[in-house]
Amino acid sequence: MLKNLEKAPTHIPGLDDILQGGLPRGRTTVINGGSGSGKTLLALEFLYRGALAGEPGIFIGFEEPLEHLRQNTATLGWDLPTLERENRLFLLDGRIKPETLMSGDFSLKGLLAIAAGKSKEMGAKRIVIDALEVILRLFDTPQQVRKELHAINDWLQAAGLAAILTVRPSSHGSASPYEDFFESMGDCILALDARVTEQISTRRLRVIKYRGSGFGRNEYPYVITPTGLRAAPISSVGLRHKPLGEKVSTGNARLDELLDGGYRRGACILLAGLPGAGKTTLAATFVAAACQRGERALYIGFEESEAALIHNVSSAGISLRSHLETGRLAFLTSFPESQGAEEHYFSALERVEAFRPDHVVIDAISACYRMGGQQIAFEYLMRLLNACKERGITIMLLNQLTGTTSYMEISGNEISSMVDTAILLNYQFSLGETNRVFQILKSRGGKHSNQKREFRLTDNGFEVTDVYLGEGDVLTGVARQRQEEKDRIEALRLSFEIKMKELELERLRLIQAQAAQGIAHRALMTGADVSPRPRPAPEDSGKEE
Amino acid sequence: MTTKTLPSAMNDPRENMPFYRLRLFVAGDEPNSLKAKAVLSRLCNERLKERCEIRIVDVFEDYQAAIDYGISVVPALIVESPLPMRTIVGSLNATDKVLAALGLVEKEGDYE
Repeated sequence: MLKNLEKAPTHIPGLDDILQGGLPRGRTTVINGGSGSGKTLLALEFLYRGALAGEPGIFIGFEEPLEHLRQNTATLGWDLPTLERENRLFLLDGRIKPETLMSGDFSLKGLLAIAAGKSKEMGAKRIVIDALEVILRLFDTPQQVRKELHAINDWLQAAGLAAILTVRPSSHGSASPYEDFFESMGDCILALDARVTEQISTRRLRVIKYRGSGFGRNEYPYVITPTGLRAAPISSVGLRHKPLGEKVSTGNARLDELLDGGYRRGACILLAGLPGAGKTTLAATFVAAACQRGERALYIGFEESEAALIHNVSSAGISLRSHLETGRLAFLTSFPESQGAEEHYFSALERVEAFRPDHVVIDAISACYRMGGQQIAFEYLMRLLNACKERGITIMLLNQLTGTTSYMEISGNEISSMVDTAILLNYQFSLGETNRVFQILKSRGGKHSNQKREFRLTDNGFEVTDVYLGEGDVLTGVARQRQEEKDRIEALRLSFEIKMKELELERLRLIQAQAAQGIAHRALMTGADVSPRPRPAPEDSGKEE
Repeated sequence: MTTKTLPSAMNDPRENMPFYRLRLFVAGDEPNSLKAKAVLSRLCNERLKERCEIRIVDVFEDYQAAIDYGISVVPALIVESPLPMRTIVGSLNATDKVLAALGLVEKEGDYE
């Protein structure tokens, strides 16, 4: 059989991308995960979404009472009882009652008989066996366990269902006697891991193997959202990115000129600078202009509250409140520490999906460190960037620098490569004062000025001043004014000098004219030719003749 | 029911001995199931006389009964009456355990 592996989509957002289509049909997937990792939920969601999509499924659980499962999933909005009534889902409690007596050998054939009968009756396409290791503990010897697993495996293969076995790894770290067997049984093995780093919990999913199929090989974060699981693949980065769109105004005419028309729609714009350099003002300028044009903008803030931000930029003459009221502007503000990076990512993604903004601002990416470290911040940003790029949404990243480091200090190479336009806002210190300058370091897909320019933050917002080039650098503030004065004086001096020279010239011309007049006069009196020729010395002339 | 009263009950089964309603779940002809069937029929003949009713359920033929009775492992013996309901799983090779579960304690009479 060389036909392609058929796959059953999990319908779990993100997971099918990682699995390149879903879980294998007619084969067994083993999900390995500790308690609280969400493995039962993943397996149930596979059945639930499968049943909704027309593929009936069977759940056999050995750990939790079915009523708990029904209640827990009801909080996610899943209506299992209705699916059960419609025979699209069958839940079986496989637990052995604690008062049950054991006497002699037994097997799991009862379960297999139920599964086989039920599967035929309802035309099942999917099956989950949850916490199999719990019932395997009833068997005394590893040989018995292997025999049971073989029987299950044989039946699953014959039944042609897409099967999931969830297994909890032994808690003491030692390999349980059947872990090897689970691994050989699974054509696909997923590992779920819930851990806490720097007091922030993160959940990671990894595909350990997938016979006959490609798969994303990284560790992927996943979260339990209010409607179910959600995984965040990063492997598809760049594959579905929309090309850059047309020019879109920065909100500032002078800056538009320097950028040859503005930013590009759908671009990733990085505004970097020291605290107070004007990043937020520049971003708010862009946002206000976009909303003015009737576009939508989502402002993701980690530094200030919505009210503080609106107030602060209003002092620069930028009014955001009206746009908030018309619904063109939305805020998503939270402290980076308030939740894990995955939760931050998914709540941002949900806002992006619900609000459908044209532009997204993140203020500031430097704060994302506080979600739990550099790697976590990087992944959060990459995913969000990716999500925006796929939707053709302009994304503006504000990066607060600490002084000594480069303008992309947080970003790492991968983010740098995704940045289309980078503007560095800086201070220039001279002559006892500090002035603001900015420089366009990069602007993909368009020519741009690479001159450093001075700007001011005025009551009217961001104001670019005229360029003033001194010796090798832009002059700002007093230095610029002094240079202007110096040049004015120099120009005056020069024009004065020119006047003097002109007078001198005039004087010389007059002298020349007088001299010429004298010569002509003398020639008339002597009858000599006035044409210029060497005049013979009077004393020598007689001698020669 | 106490074990003390049992020997006399056994001496006169018709007086005090309850009626046993038993249901044995098996999986076709697999060895453990055959063994359990044999043990149970011997037990009924020797100890319960006619005061028992045994129903054999093959899970491969009637999986719905297995669902209804919550049977995931076989063989499994369910004592439906007298109450309370009890379940004994396995090939029933530990006869004393089975008898205890049925409220019949082996050798008890020997001490009297």
